[in-house]
Amino acid sequence: MEAVFNARLVTQTLAKRRNLVFLGLGLLTLALMVTNLVVGSLPYPIERIFYTLLHPQESGDLATIVWKIRVPRTLAAALGGAYLAASGLLLQVYFRNPIVGPYILGISSGATLLVSIIMLTPFGFRLTHATPFVTTIAGCLGAYAVMALVVAIAAKVQRGATLLILGLMMGYLCSSVTSVLTALAEKEKIKGFVLWGMGSFSGFKQVEIGILIVFGGGLLIAVYLLSKPLNAFLLGEDYAASLGVNIRRFRIFILMAASALAGLVTSMAGPVAFIGLAVPHMARLSFGTSDNRILIPGVCLTGAAVTSLCDLIARMWLNPVELPISAITAFFGAPIVIGLLLKRGARFS
Amino acid sequence: MNPFGPTALTLENLTIGYRSPVVTDINLTVPPGVFVSLLGANGSGKTTLLRTISRRLKPLAGRITLFDQPLKTFKALDLAKTLSVVLTDKAEVPMLRVLEFVALGRHPHSDFLGRLTDKDLLAVEESLFAVKADKLANRFVDELSDGERQKVVLARALAQNPRITLLDEPTAHLDLKHRLEFLAILRNLCRQIGLTVIAAAHDVESAARFSDLVMTLKDGRLQDFGRPEEVLKPEAIRTLYDCPEANFDSALGGLEMTPDGRAGRAFVLGGQDSAALAYRLLAKQGYALATGFFLATDLDAHVARSLGAKVFSFKNADNPPLADLLAESLVELGQCDFLVIAGDMGGFSEGLTKLKAEAKKLNIPILSLGPNGELTPLIEGLALYRSSRAA
Repeated sequence: MEAVFNARLVTQTLAKRRNLVFLGLGLLTLALMVTNLVVGSLPYPIERIFYTLLHPQESGDLATIVWKIRVPRTLAAALGGAYLAASGLLLQVYFRNPIVGPYILGISSGATLLVSIIMLTPFGFRLTHATPFVTTIAGCLGAYAVMALVVAIAAKVQRGATLLILGLMMGYLCSSVTSVLTALAEKEKIKGFVLWGMGSFSGFKQVEIGILIVFGGGLLIAVYLLSKPLNAFLLGEDYAASLGVNIRRFRIFILMAASALAGLVTSMAGPVAFIGLAVPHMARLSFGTSDNRILIPGVCLTGAAVTSLCDLIARMWLNPVELPISAITAFFGAPIVIGLLLKRGARFS
Repeated sequence: MNPFGPTALTLENLTIGYRSPVVTDINLTVPPGVFVSLLGANGSGKTTLLRTISRRLKPLAGRITLFDQPLKTFKALDLAKTLSVVLTDKAEVPMLRVLEFVALGRHPHSDFLGRLTDKDLLAVEESLFAVKADKLANRFVDELSDGERQKVVLARALAQNPRITLLDEPTAHLDLKHRLEFLAILRNLCRQIGLTVIAAAHDVESAARFSDLVMTLKDGRLQDFGRPEEVLKPEAIRTLYDCPEANFDSALGGLEMTPDGRAGRAFVLGGQDSAALAYRLLAKQGYALATGFFLATDLDAHVARSLGAKVFSFKNADNPPLADLLAESLVELGQCDFLVIAGDMGGFSEGLTKLKAEAKKLNIPILSLGPNGELTPLIEGLALYRSSRAA
């Protein structure tokens, strides 16, 4: 009997198709990032913006706008989107649960709690004068404190589901304290805090972009290098263990990497809803696989593209009023995910 | 090397459990290339044993040796190249093609990034061929039927190139056709590539048919370990499952439930294989059975015995003790509620006439099968008998 299929041929066909998706997504991301640089509340001609970009040593209003505002923001949106998406993917793989996102373990609630102390209490208000980074530092502390707690517990807990509930409870605890602070706070302070809680990629400083690139990039590389054991986790912990993965160590790694990525973005931009939850689905469907060796770069590109687009809309839709990023990500993102899932359902049922 | 020949798995004084022991002091040796079924009631420790052998659970005491090497000295990746598992978990992964799913089994063999070499792809191909799932290679795993998916899950386990595979109730969700196909594939793997298979099973009949050895767990002990033909005696099955009504016929390989006799007692005249279906019909409706007269080796005799019937049979076909049997049967008939004629008693017309006459005398109804063994007259007769008794 003749062989009915040839594994090599099938793999090559699949790889070809996936490379095309990579190419398309890469071009799309690039185009969106360029659009973010070019489009803004002040209309400058495109050639002048490109000229400024190619001559960073020049000064003037336009140089300030391009280098101090648009470049950081464009990079922040793209990188932030990529990291949140990667974080969401890691947790979805680990928990084997499609509705898990980067904030499921309480990272954002921890950040929000500490930021609320800074923004809503008299004590924090005094700190704000000390350093302009105080909100970022507070967010960072809050996010990583929760992460440390979750990871410490994860070393003792056997089941993923228990951990999930613990994370949720941690989130509720932090939120309740935040609610108390909100109730006690002065009215005019609340709007600023509420807006922080919906995220924004504006006002990133160059130092922050540097940190975002170095730490986030390092984490992403580490995550990619571990995509093989991550694939073993697709089948659950028991199967992963039977394949020779040290699941205890690896579980800690997944949780730490996912929390660190999400915490990094959240401390600087505030909680950005939806990206980490939805982008992994979009990437899985567009690449047609759950193979993490493809999905990790895949979600990063998709996350960068989607977040860039959302930030563009947030800035320009009701220009000059700027909308919070979470409003846009959810408003446009949710229908897209529903549509993709329904389309897939229709194709196969 | 073991002086008594090669061994795949040796358990010595093994006690397994979580905090408290579930099964204590297991001692056994499994030779390579055999199909072992693991039987026991729910909660008897089947899964715990499999988890312990696959090193997901530490033994509470005792030693495990895999292919002459102590289990605890295996490096994680070497163990993954020696032993693979199929768990009860449905292993549902969204958006993954069968080919990629099976390739996950290459984990212990592939490089740091998990890139698949031609050798890996060949192993994936062979695994899919071995389970007859090569046509599914390009499908998505979450769209497969239960039967298809289970074959693919087995292919993934085979892609590890293991020497032993542990399976936890692998056929639990499968229909008859897929169950038989799956077990036949497992048996072929033992024969053809010398794979050792240890499968927890819930189904005594298939375990008896397909496995080379069975181990039975009961009350925290290894009850039996040996060939199914020797181990799976009716009494052993009754104890194993705490089920006194169960009647396992090792010759037929079938499990029957003894009727409790609450509905009454029937005397069935059988012979020439005509009565087997009538026995089952009556037993299901709760009638205790008595039957005769035929050779002890008649199929009717086997079925009747496995249904707990009192059987009037003889061993010597040349000179059957018909007169004695008839006398005993006439006494027995007195205890019965009705007589079913499902055979001609091997042409012993004198006996037939006498039994009929006795039934008339005792006012016992006589029911019968159709001229070609049809059950309808019996079913109708039973209904009539019941309604007359109710009235």
